[in-house]
Formats: sequence, structure tokens, C-alpha cells
Amino acid sequence: MEHTDIAVIGAGVLGCFAARALTAYDLHVTVLEAREDACTGITRANTGIVYTGCDTAPGTLKTELCVRANREFDALCRELDVRFSRCGSLMLAFGARAEGVLRRKLAAGRAAGVPGLRLLDRAETLALEPGVSGRVTMSLYAPGTGTVNPWELGLAAFENARRNGARFRFGEEVTRMTRRGRGFVLETPKGEYTARCVVNCAGLNAAAVRELTELPSVRIFPTAGDYLVLDDTVSGAPRHVLFHEPEEKGKGLTLVPTVDGNVLLGPTERPRESAADWATAQSGLTELRALCAEVVPALPLDAVIRSFSALRPNPFYVHAAAGQWVPEDRSISSFTLLEEDGLYSMIGIKTPGLTCAHVLGQRLAAMAAEHLGGVGPNRSFDPVRRAIPAVHAMDEASRRALAARCGDYGEIVCHCRDVTRGEVLEAIRRGAVTLDGIKRRTGAGMGRCQGARCLMPLLQTLAEETGLRAEEVTKDGAGSAVVQQDGTL
Amino acid sequence: MAAALSAAEKGRRVLLCERAAALGGVLNQCLHRGFGRAWYGEDLTGVEYGGRFAARLAHSDVTVCTGAEVLSLSAERSALISGRTGLFRVSFDRCVLSAGCRERPIGALPVSGTRPAGVFTAGTAQMLLNVGHYSIGAAAVILGSGDVGQIVARQLVQSGHSVVAMVEQADRLGGLARNRRECVEAYHIPVLLRATVEQVHGAGRVSAVTVRHLDTGARETLECDTLITAVGLVPDRALCRGLESGGALPDWLHLAGNCAFVHDIVDSVTAEAMALGAEL
Repeated sequence: MEHTDIAVIGAGVLGCFAARALTAYDLHVTVLEAREDACTGITRANTGIVYTGCDTAPGTLKTELCVRANREFDALCRELDVRFSRCGSLMLAFGARAEGVLRRKLAAGRAAGVPGLRLLDRAETLALEPGVSGRVTMSLYAPGTGTVNPWELGLAAFENARRNGARFRFGEEVTRMTRRGRGFVLETPKGEYTARCVVNCAGLNAAAVRELTELPSVRIFPTAGDYLVLDDTVSGAPRHVLFHEPEEKGKGLTLVPTVDGNVLLGPTERPRESAADWATAQSGLTELRALCAEVVPALPLDAVIRSFSALRPNPFYVHAAAGQWVPEDRSISSFTLLEEDGLYSMIGIKTPGLTCAHVLGQRLAAMAAEHLGGVGPNRSFDPVRRAIPAVHAMDEASRRALAARCGDYGEIVCHCRDVTRGEVLEAIRRGAVTLDGIKRRTGAGMGRCQGARCLMPLLQTLAEETGLRAEEVTKDGAGSAVVQQDGTL
Repeated sequence: MAAALSAAEKGRRVLLCERAAALGGVLNQCLHRGFGRAWYGEDLTGVEYGGRFAARLAHSDVTVCTGAEVLSLSAERSALISGRTGLFRVSFDRCVLSAGCRERPIGALPVSGTRPAGVFTAGTAQMLLNVGHYSIGAAAVILGSGDVGQIVARQLVQSGHSVVAMVEQADRLGGLARNRRECVEAYHIPVLLRATVEQVHGAGRVSAVTVRHLDTGARETLECDTLITAVGLVPDRALCRGLESGGALPDWLHLAGNCAFVHDIVDSVTAEAMALGAEL
């Protein structure tokens, strides 16, 4: 039995930021994560947009937090040494209906305090983004929109939280939780914990975790969306995030020029295929290509190097009816933060959850600290985290100096992305235990060959460094072994 | 290797940069025979064929650098080279790019479903099998019927694994007639023509694929733990980026081998590169 002040359940981007914010207090923080590494659930598949707050319902907590989070995003990314591109966005209209939506968003955004919003006519739009279809009639320009790599942000928070004393326990899925006295007892396959407070950031499982001690009130009904990734060398890539507000009902296209230099196209929206989470659908991929040809006809779709799907955790209030828990007609439009006598649950935090992860974490931490009472600050808290050196982004002189000092930073492992062995070793030192863990920390395997050439060297390096046998190395956790030394899988 | 040897024989000072630890490139993962029938009049493995050139280079005036990755070429004719000994900039008069090909990834194809472990390009599968000496799975479906796919199919069967099917969208197999005969027919690899893999199943590891028959629209699910894609090679000219003007390369930059276009056999690569090297 191990005691902690706060148990955070889930090490996605929300759990990592909650843990980081909690370590700013004089509290003992333990993060229990079911998987092998941080940021392996819904965090891993995200559009990576830092929103301004003009897209969400005015007057809601969501909008208030989003506007604030956006304003603070540069400072946050400087602290955490995370790449952030404040590239601005254009929301594109191709007719009267969408123009109406743009005008409403302009008014709502201005009322919420979003700076710099303005409507652009066709010529102004095409001057900024010449690749957009000439049929565009109007756009809403939001200079404050930005983009960030979601794994990079989440893993930076993970590293910083750990550095500030949070203990991360991987492979520990909370299977039982009970209230005892004023606190909680949590059971995982590896042990038992007592905690004074529980912060539930379990992502898709957040409602299920909450219901270990509470009656159902909010449940998640996920929808899925498909994405395409374009190679980083395409000509005519957009310079801004582009949102397409369709004339007909349905989800428009979003294009993101990522901080890694790719173009991300997405997402579609469709029912989750329950048997196959994280599976893309043929219909979704086809729809994306068609939409793209319509909105940005110049973009070369033969440059697609990857497709993936994401899950959107839509929260609904549920009520009991005829012995079943039935969802309300409409999903909850704001963030759901439930506070229940020491249990804090974030359920169904979707767009702009990534933007707000930091401020949501701060808010939860403040609530938990107040609940416990008399909690002082952690005087040794250091908000600064340094990134793994990104050798490919260095100037020649710095790169030469680094490679001269350490040969590992001269040896290239991923040829597409120009990632060195030194970066891979550092990623492993910082907690990567799978091939995808290395990818998320270094970009190795994310290029145009998609890991075809670096798979084996990465597998061997991971095995050597962690003491695993090659057949124990996985792509992304239990059940995803890549090779077998002998015999069959 | 061939261009370097013939340029050196003409009296040029030559630096040969190879990013791998050994010379030979993709030849080093080719344990099968069929190399050198034209050039040497012998039936060699890829490793043996490459080894002959590496041995000649060892006794030539060519300066060989292995573990040396050329990061970029500049219009001022210099190369930025990275390796364990550091970062170097080297000036040159002429440059031959013989970086071979990369394989199209599955993400470039309209294949839906999950992205589990167990999906390999044929080249990666060959590398894992022949250089790493790993087993890659018990039962494989192979999408595409290029030469590398056929050769990997044969090797899987030879080593006691099962090839569930080779799936090809055309109405006949690709690759050389020799490989069709010696790999697919001789080893009774089941072939599905006018068909494609439409969907990948499996959470952690591949568990099955859905195959769609193009003429009938019928779908069938094939259980397997491995999907190998052999769907085309793309000349790897990443280093040419930014050097082209009007679609043309500068006159000092030459392409050799599969980096110029995809060749069927290595002997013709050798002959062309030898001729190119002699003219530099």
C-alpha cells in the first residue's frame, strides 16, 4: 500500500498537465497510467490546432479558457521548449450560409476578446492563400490561431511534471476505486494506493473511472474522424490553418501546416466502429480526398504518406430510463469538470482540449489544493523543460559542434527526417519504451518512407538500451511485437 | 561503386560516401541468386555481387567513407556530410547520386483500417529477415507483385512460413518472368489477381486483411499476422531538392542506377554507371 496526496489517473496530455500543475503545490503526486508510456490514447491523434476561442459557444467556460490559453500559449511553449507556430487561420466560405456562420463567429469572437479577427473578401483571401479554390467568397482571418505537435506538448508536460516530483506509474490501470474515510483506495494490477484526492484524466475511460465510485451522470459517446498526412515537400502547401465551412450540413475540411512541415488534412466525422478503435474508414478517406480537391484543388494528393483516425470523446448527460442509462439528445457543449468530494473528473474534453490542457490542469490543481486546505507552494518547482536537441533544425555551426562533442549526434538513423542516434538515445533515456514512443519524441519514422528504413536500427537500439530482447520490442505497447527471434508469433 | 571505380580509373579523385556501415546498399539484403549473369557470366547472390565491387574499391584510389550521410548538396558544389566522426563540408567538381529507391509506404495507398505492427514494405521485410535474421510473422499477405515481393514470398515459404496470398490489382503478376517462375510458381504461392487489400484489421498486431475483388466487388477476409507491401519504388532524389531549375538538374549532378530510373537487373545498373563514371 502506497500513499499519495493526489492520484492522477491517465497520462495523456490532460493528465500530464494536471500533474505538472499539481507539482507546483507542496503535494505528493502519483500518476497512474494503464499503458507503457505517456500520450498514447486520444492525445496521439489530434489536429494539433491552438484555437482562439471564436469557434466555441460564447459565454461558456470552454470559450473563456480557450481565449486565455491562446494568449498564454507562446509563454507556455517557451517554458516547455515546444515548437509552436502561430500561423493564423482562415475560415473559408463558399456561399451565403457559410458567410452567415463567419459573421456570427466574428461577432462571438470579438465579444469573447479574441484579437485581430477580420473578414476578408475573395481577393484578400486568395492573396494570402493562392492555393484555395477561386470559388471562395469570404474568409474569417484569425491571426491568433496556431499549431503545435500534440505529442510534443504532452510529453513535454510529462517530463516537466516528473522533474518536479510527480511519480509516473505505467502499466497500472485502475481497476477498482473505493472511498475510505476522507480519501480513496485505488487498485491496479501492480498494487494498491491510498490518495486524499483523485484527478480523473482517463480520456475515453474517464466516465468508466468515475463510475467506480459515483453514479452515472456524464458518459462519452465517441465519434471517429479520419486524417491524411502529406509529405513535407509538397509545393503549394497552405501557410495558414484553413477551416472550410461547408454550405451543406456536414463537417468541413481542415488543413494544418504542421510544425513538422507536413500538411495534415482532416477530419471527417462518422460513427465509431466499436470493434476497431483507431481504424480509418474507406468512406472517410475518400471523402477527405474529394473535399480537398474541391477546397484546395492545387494540393497534390499523390503526396499522401499516411492516414490515421482519431476519436472525439463527445460527452452527454445520461439519465436512467427503463433500467438503462440513456443520453440526452445533445452533447455537452462546454468542458465537463466534475467535482465530487475529492474526486475531480474531466470527461469528454474535446476541441479545444489540447489548447486548454495547460489551463485546465491549473484549474483542477487549484480546486484540489483548495479541497485539501492549507497546501503551500512547491518552492523548488521549475516550470522550465529543455527539449531533446533537434539536430536537423540546427544551424551548421551548432550541429558541427554537437556532433564533434558526441558522435551519436552525427550518426543519422532516420534518413527522411534526419534524426540522429543521439536523439534516439535521449528519447529512450526520457522514457520511450516503444518504437512509437521514439517516433513521438524524435520524429524518427515520420517521413516519406514511414519507417521502412529505420525500423530495424531503431528496434535494435531500443533492445540494446532497454535490455529487451528484439521480440519484446513493440510498436506501441503490449500485443504489438514487430519481430520474432525464432518460431512464430 | 561502379561509377566510383570507373571515374578513378580515368584518373579522377573520387570520394564515395555511403550512409550504411558497409558498401553495397540493397544488395546486402539480397541473399538470393540471379546477380551478375550478364556482367560476370556467373550466378551470384546480391551480397557476393556487391562484395566483388567492394573488394575492387579496397584496392583502388577511391576514398571510401561508410557511415557517412550526405545531408545536403549546395549549388556551390559542396556536400554536407554527417557521421560519427563529425560534420564535414566537402567541395567537388561533379557529383553522382546513386542513392537508389525508397518504397512507397502503405499510407500512400487507399487502404483503410488500423495501423498495427506487422505491416512491412517488402524491402523492410527482406532487411529484417536477411540482415537482422529475425522472423517477421507466421502468415503473410503480400500486396503487390513486384520483384522484391515475389522474392520475399519465396523466402518466407522456404523458411517454413505461410504466404496466405499475393494480391495484385492487375490481371497479371509484375516483376521479371524469371521471378514469377522461380518464386511464385515453383513455390505455389497463392495469387489473387484483379484484387486489392482494402482494409487492415488488428489492434496491436495485424490479425487479418480485407481483400476486394475488383471485377466483382466481392470482399473476403484473409487471416494473417503480417502484411507486406510491394507496391512500387520511388527514386530517392531527396538531395536534388532545391537544385533543379526548370525541371533540369545542374550539369554537375548526375543520377546513376535506380536513382535515375528503376532497373530490372543490377548488371545493367553496373554497365550504365561504369560508362557514366568514365565520362566524368
